[in-house]
Amino acid sequence: MSLTHINARGEAHMVDVADKPESTREASASGLIRMQPETLALLAEGGLPKGDVLATARIAGIQAAKRTHELIPLCHALALSKVAIDFELDEPECCVHVTATCRLTGRTGVEMEALTAVSVACLTLYDMCKAVDKGMEIGAIHLDTKTGGKSGDYRRDEAWGARAVAPSIIESSPSPIVTGEGVSGEVSVGHRCDIATPCLRVKCLAELRERLGVGDVSVPLERLPSSDVAGLKTALKALDARFEGLDQGRVLCAVNQVMASDATPLTDNDEVAFFPPVTGG
Amino acid sequence: MIRVQESVFDAGIELRALLEGRSDIGAVVSFTGLVRDFNERPEVQALTLEHYPGMTEVALDEIVEQARSRWVLQGVTVIHRIGRLEPADPIVLVVVASAHRRAAFDACDFIMDYLKTRAPFWKKEHTASGDYWVSERDGDHQDARRWEMST
Repeated sequence: MSLTHINARGEAHMVDVADKPESTREASASGLIRMQPETLALLAEGGLPKGDVLATARIAGIQAAKRTHELIPLCHALALSKVAIDFELDEPECCVHVTATCRLTGRTGVEMEALTAVSVACLTLYDMCKAVDKGMEIGAIHLDTKTGGKSGDYRRDEAWGARAVAPSIIESSPSPIVTGEGVSGEVSVGHRCDIATPCLRVKCLAELRERLGVGDVSVPLERLPSSDVAGLKTALKALDARFEGLDQGRVLCAVNQVMASDATPLTDNDEVAFFPPVTGG
Repeated sequence: MIRVQESVFDAGIELRALLEGRSDIGAVVSFTGLVRDFNERPEVQALTLEHYPGMTEVALDEIVEQARSRWVLQGVTVIHRIGRLEPADPIVLVVVASAHRRAAFDACDFIMDYLKTRAPFWKKEHTASGDYWVSERDGDHQDARRWEMST
């Protein structure tokens, strides 16, 4: 194996990607920032002097992903179709876990974008909280998964075995979904169908949106094995493994804002929403 | 009248508006739902109400129409708030006017039962121990089913 960013003379160069085929690339990276329990508590209740910390760090991470090529010398400028940043407040471990997922259809991978997004989100958390805690420590920034492209798929847990991941990071609590306040962190501009292609507009709402990490997505009608809601679910799961979550728990569906079932037929330009049981009133 | 809004409402003003200039109304029943400071977890500090714009209004409209088909009603007001609310804030208002009290009581009860199980609103509660999405309650579904059995 050779270093792709070094040419035959040992000089740094940017790889010419014009001849590489386009494919859907996705990468997820994560890291964490450790802090005093009091700082974490202030962060959780929004009591820090600079305001909404998580929302600001999320925007910083998204912006950083888009500008990775300005920071890392030999990176290409990429038109990312999606950047999602998630935070998990971990009280027992006194830290915030930061995860970034980037996606595009193109000729180069997006792992540098995901790693940069995590790094800058962590730095922003430091900046937002440093008035009350200067001893915070950023660490464990690493690539978790990478899919698409010639070099094949990568999963850190498979590549490294169990030793790579500290127990505190993979332990998941059975408590209800816990997310930060503010926006959902989803910037999804991917999978736009062109105007001539019959297409469905799919929305995931409330807890389902946060659980799947997907807000809006367009699906070409031709991808459906059958032109109904059941066919759409099959197509979504083939599109992205996260949609397996549509089968977990009770998930309701509306077509053009009217309650629907798996057998409800679908046609071009229908709006299909998936959501958890309602809890208003 | 059906409204979905972020701003606070005044139950008294809404009730008077429904009755204004009318002398055919014999009974008016109003229900106001408030934010509690305890739910699935204690110390609820605030909640955020999300809805599905477009479908929400249609769903509420349909619930009110169903109520009107079951009882003779002189007027109905439904207001549901969205966005961030704090304990003791009013969330939902249902005002029902009729010629007789039984229709007004029952229709108000019916609208709330159906609203809680059919209108696309979701609550996320912010507590001292973190944020979580409120899960559905079996009791709400049992309440809504009462109306199916009695007809």
